[in-house]
Amino acid sequence: MDPSETERSQSREWRRETRVNVGPAERKASVIGGAALAVSGLRCISKRNYASGLAMMLAGGMFLYRGQTGHCGIYDAMGVDTVHTHNSALTIEKAVTIGLPPNEVYEFWRNLENLPRFMRHLESVQVTGARTSHWKAVGPGGISAEWDAEMMEDVPGQQISWHSVGEADVPNKGSVEFREAPGYRGTEVKVTIDYYPPGGGAGRAAAKLAQGINSQQLEEDLKRLKQILEVGEETTARRTVQ
Amino acid sequence: MRAVCWHGKHDVRVDEVADPQIVSKGDVIVKVALTCICGSDLHLYNGYVPTMKKGDILGHEFVGEVVEAGSGVTRFHVGDRVIVPFPISCGVCWYCKHELWSLCDNSNPNSWMLEHLYGDTGGGIFGYSHMYGGFSGGQAEYVRVPFADVGLEKIPDGIPYEQVVLLTDICPTGYQAADNCNINPGDTVAVWGCGPVGLMAMMSARHLGAERVIGIDRFPDRLQMAHSQCQAEVLNYEEVDVAEALQNMTGGRGPDSCIDAVGLEAVGTGIEGIYDSVKQTLRLENDRASALRQLTKACRKGGTLSIVGVYSGFIDKFPMGAIFAKGLTLHAGQAHVHKYLPHLLKLVQEQQLNPSSIITHRLPLEEAPRGYKTFLNKQDACIKIVLNPQAQGAAATPGSEQASAG
Ligand SMILES: [Zn+2]
Ligand SMILES: [Zn+2]
Repeated sequence: MDPSETERSQSREWRRETRVNVGPAERKASVIGGAALAVSGLRCISKRNYASGLAMMLAGGMFLYRGQTGHCGIYDAMGVDTVHTHNSALTIEKAVTIGLPPNEVYEFWRNLENLPRFMRHLESVQVTGARTSHWKAVGPGGISAEWDAEMMEDVPGQQISWHSVGEADVPNKGSVEFREAPGYRGTEVKVTIDYYPPGGGAGRAAAKLAQGINSQQLEEDLKRLKQILEVGEETTARRTVQ
Repeated sequence: MRAVCWHGKHDVRVDEVADPQIVSKGDVIVKVALTCICGSDLHLYNGYVPTMKKGDILGHEFVGEVVEAGSGVTRFHVGDRVIVPFPISCGVCWYCKHELWSLCDNSNPNSWMLEHLYGDTGGGIFGYSHMYGGFSGGQAEYVRVPFADVGLEKIPDGIPYEQVVLLTDICPTGYQAADNCNINPGDTVAVWGCGPVGLMAMMSARHLGAERVIGIDRFPDRLQMAHSQCQAEVLNYEEVDVAEALQNMTGGRGPDSCIDAVGLEAVGTGIEGIYDSVKQTLRLENDRASALRQLTKACRKGGTLSIVGVYSGFIDKFPMGAIFAKGLTLHAGQAHVHKYLPHLLKLVQEQQLNPSSIITHRLPLEEAPRGYKTFLNKQDACIKIVLNPQAQGAAATPGSEQASAG
C-alpha cells in the first residue's frame, strides 16, 4: 500500500463519526420515513407493544439520525456510501447453524415456495419456470412490493443464488450458502441479500427497509427456519388457537 | 379461567381470562394444582422488566394434572400428575442435546430482543416477560405447556404436590449452584442469600459432600432457617465484615466455593436508556455488585464462584483483577432443570430431600395480590408462598383434588 493510500484510509478512520455518507435526496427521505417510524415505534411502546415498538424505534431512530446528520451507522458498517455511488447496494448478511445435514437444508430452501413460511415479509413466492419465480412482499400499513426473480447458481447441497429481473419495486439479489458445521453441529447457513434502493434512496426504500427487510428481520427469519427444520414447526407462545 | 395477571408496578390482579388450548401437537394442558411466587417474580412485580404487557399471566413454578394432550404427545396422558420445569426446551437443538436445557435455541420466539445486548440468549420461560418468549405462566387454573414430552416429569404415586412443586425451579437452581462448585471432601461452601434458592443450595452442598456450609443474609428468620434446615453456620452481613469473618472461620484460606444466590433486584435492563426504571435498576446493580465483590474477595485461591442470582445488565467495578490474580472459576446461568429433575425426584422419594420444609405460606390463588405484597416486604417471616388455584375458599375444594394431591 502506498503512503498516500495509508494516509487516506487513516483519515477516513478518524473522520468516520462525522463524515457525510448519505446523499441529499435520501437524507430528506430518511427524515420523513425515519420520523414516522420512530413516532409509531414510540406509540407502540406506550401501548406496551414492545416487540414491534422497539424494532421500529431502532430502525426509525437510525434513519432520523442519518437524515439530520448525513451520517448513517448502518451504511458505515456496511461500507455503503450513497454520496459517491448511486448504485451501491444495502447488504444484509446473517448466518445460522441448523442441526441437519446440508443437503436437507438445501432441499427445503431450493423449494422456493417454502420461503414465506419463515420469511415474515414475504407473502408468497411462486415458481414460474425452471429457474424463474415471482415474489410478493408486504409490510405493515399495506405497503407491498413484487418482483420476478431468476436463479443464477444452484449447486445442490451447497449454494443457491438469485436476483430480481425486470421492473422490480426494490431490485435485489441474494445468495444462500450451506456448509457442513464442525463437530456434527449440522449446517452453517449463510444468507446474503443486496437491496438497491430506487434512485439511490427514496422514502419508500427507507420505509421498506425499516419494515421488514432489515437485518433484524433476516435474523428472525433464520431462527424461524431453524425451528421449522429442527422442531418441525415455528415456536409459538400463543395460549389459544386464533 | 382465573389467572394472576400483571397490570403494572406493584399491581397484580386475579383476572378472568380465556382458557388455554392445544396450539401445537406437542402441547399438553395442565390443570394447575399448586404454583409458587418466586423471588424472580418480584422483579416483574417491581416493574423492572421492560417487556411485560398488561394482562400477562405470571408464574413459572407449577405442578398439576394433564387434562388434555396434543396428538404428538406420547409420554403423557390425561390424568398424569406432572412437574413442569420453568425453562421451556425443544429437546432437539444442540444445546438441549448437550444438557444445556435452559439455553435452548428454539423455545424462545423473541430471542432477538436480547440478542443485540447479549449476542445471544436463552430459551423461553413460562410467565416471565416477552423477552423470554411471552409464554403464559402457571399462576392460573390451566396452562398450555409446549414440548411436553421433553420437559415434563411424572410425579410418582403417593408423593404430594407440595413435596415436588419446588422441583420446578428452586431445587434444581440451588442444586446446580452447588453442583457447579465441584465440591470435594473437606470443602467449605459459603452462600450469599438465604432465600429459597440459597437454602436449597446449602442443602445441596451438604448432599454433595461439603464439610461446612455458611449462610449469609440480613434477615434473622432466614438465617435461623439456614441454621435449622441446612445445618449452616450463619453470618449477618449487617453485623460483621463478611470477607473478614469468612477468612477467620476458614483458617485464613477463605471458602472453597462461594455461591451468589442474591439475585439482582432488576431483570431486563436490556434496553438501557429508554426507561426511567433503568436508572433505578443501575443504582441497584451497583449496590448488588458489592455482594459479588464480596464473594470474589472472600473466595480462596483457585476456588469457584457460582452465580445463580439473576443478573441482567452491566456491573460497575467488576473485580476482574481479583478473579485473575486468585485464579477463580466462574459459573453462572439459569438452571438446566431437566438435567437434575430425575435425581432430585429420587431424593424426594427417598426422603433425603424435603423441599416443602421451606414453604411458609399457603394461599388460594385469589390471594396472590396479598401474597406478592407480603413476599416483597418480607413480612410475616415469609420465605416461600404456594398458591392453590383449585381452592376457592377451603370449603369449595372438591374432595378428589385432595385425594390426588395426597
Ligand atoms: Zn422461580
Ligand atoms: Zn432446544
